[in-house]
Amino acid sequence: MPSTLRIAVRNLGRNRRRTALALAAIALAQIAVLAMDGLMNGWVEASLEGMTGPMMGHAQIHAPGWREEQAPDLVIEDVDALLARVRAVPTVRDAYARIYSPALAARDVEGHAVVVAGVEMTAERADGGLLEGLDASAIPDAHGALIGATLAREAGIEVGDEIALLGQGADGSLANDLVTVTGILRTPLDLLNRRGVILHLETAQEIFAMEGRAHEINVRGTGGVDGADALVAALRRVDGADGLEILTWRELAPELSTMLEFSGVYGLVVLLIVFIAAAAGVANTMLMATFERRRELGMLLALGTTPGRLVRVVLSEAVVLGILGVAVGTICGVALVLYQGHAGIDPTTWGSHDESIDVAVNGLNWGGTIYPYLRAVDVLPGFLGVTLVSVVAALWPAVVTARLEPVEAMRS
Amino acid sequence: MGLSVLATSSLAAAQGPPSLAEVTRVLDDLYTSSASIARVELTVTTPRNTRTMRMRMWSRGEERALIVIESPARERGTATLRRERNLWNFLPRISRTIRVPPSMMLSSWMGTDLTNDDLTQSASYRDDFTGRIVGHSQDGHGWTIRYDANEGTVGLWRRIEFDVNEAGTLPVRARYFDRRERLARVMRFEDVREMDGRRIPTRMIIEPQDREGHRTELHYLEMDFDANVPESTFSLTQLERQR
Repeated sequence: MPSTLRIAVRNLGRNRRRTALALAAIALAQIAVLAMDGLMNGWVEASLEGMTGPMMGHAQIHAPGWREEQAPDLVIEDVDALLARVRAVPTVRDAYARIYSPALAARDVEGHAVVVAGVEMTAERADGGLLEGLDASAIPDAHGALIGATLAREAGIEVGDEIALLGQGADGSLANDLVTVTGILRTPLDLLNRRGVILHLETAQEIFAMEGRAHEINVRGTGGVDGADALVAALRRVDGADGLEILTWRELAPELSTMLEFSGVYGLVVLLIVFIAAAAGVANTMLMATFERRRELGMLLALGTTPGRLVRVVLSEAVVLGILGVAVGTICGVALVLYQGHAGIDPTTWGSHDESIDVAVNGLNWGGTIYPYLRAVDVLPGFLGVTLVSVVAALWPAVVTARLEPVEAMRS
Repeated sequence: MGLSVLATSSLAAAQGPPSLAEVTRVLDDLYTSSASIARVELTVTTPRNTRTMRMRMWSRGEERALIVIESPARERGTATLRRERNLWNFLPRISRTIRVPPSMMLSSWMGTDLTNDDLTQSASYRDDFTGRIVGHSQDGHGWTIRYDANEGTVGLWRRIEFDVNEAGTLPVRARYFDRRERLARVMRFEDVREMDGRRIPTRMIIEPQDREGHRTELHYLEMDFDANVPESTFSLTQLERQR
């Protein structure tokens, strides 16, 4: 075999220009695959970070049944102590205690269906919090409230209005109180925009008879969306967390996982197209190479070279060509993605400048800079695929070669 | 008044099934009168706690009702006013009245297993449903009558099945099927007693089928079917004056 391989390599060197062109075609294909994979990875991660964003987080802690029943009395007891222990977990980046209570809100007599969100306002101003980017001066005093922009518009609520809230307390009692609107909240979070009345956690606890309790602890980990399983495993070991329901974003929003799978399918289609292009390149090169050398191959057959060996030589040429091309492509592609990952790609700069392409889907905001990156496994399909495709594409020229009639071949 | 006459006539013909028209009238008119005042105890049970409220209820016909909570003290004076399909809640603690928007009609009323919609429903079995006597009820002591919502009737229920007593004069049990034909709620009528001249079930137990361990019990403590309730009782200004 080594001699076969040597002959194959030497044959490739005969027509350097053609070999170089074939190499370039295959390399380009691999670069395209890698660039596409990198962008896809980066986009999926950016979307997931966006979508698992402030509302969902990477993981959530609730009393069992709260998500299904939304009963106000399904609470996390002694939430301050638990929250402190959750925050002490090394893989936890942020953790917030929240109250979500459906309620009626009214500026005058007309009631509007709202969701009262009791949150730690100061802490939630951080990146990834519900009030991400809110100015410190916009934080209301104890009995102040922020109102979602759409809700404010539809209910005719303005800053300075005193609004009545009517809901149900955790003890089953009637929760009702007055709060003063100190600000209108414009947020990409659809639920808050349309129905949100945001209060200080303590105020919400007081109104809904939930002193020291909350409905949810929302957690973001240091491991990003991929680290959610490990994060939940760590949270389950936290003292006082047993008996509570702790779920990853994957379990909270199975439809996001479906989207991931879909993007995988899309990548596969692109890969397929690229392989067909690579196959055409290899097949063309090998066809040319074999037709060009008809006389020489016929001579070899006449000298006693077995047809099987000739097939192996041609196939080896193809495989060497393919792998070499993929290798070159991988080096260039990885370099390209590394550069992009470092620089970041901001899709909002693609369109005209004043037109944002931020898209809200299911109340979640997409957009922002994408940082493409590659995983080791992303390189593999190119190698395996191109090798396989090279062999298949070279089979026809190889078989044609093996069937050559030595005398006729030499005469031509 | 008309009811006692009805009861006697039905008893006379106890062998066969009761007349559908009579049963329907019984069900439609059981607790209604031109004007009534009642005191009711409401017990709400969830898997985790039990809460009892007492309230006074004024009503006129089928379209007007006022409910004022007497206890617990924390909620005393909280009132719900119903006029036609509108519902207002008055909250004395903050001196505010809030109208319940249509989007909240299917939400719980005061944390019970009754919805706001239940309070504003004045569905009449005679006008909004088509009744049919199915046969003997499953426990063998009475009859099952099935009411299918008429085409175009607005409401929660697609079908309601009543078990009534042998004579067809009192409901025993009702099964409510939602728009998807799923059994959503079972209501039991118990503790039949005479109140202000009418024999009525004084205890109603409502069990939602989709929430295990939840139930709401409505217990009539007093009932005056012939009360003097002026129309002005059901005004917003009056609502805010209630204590």
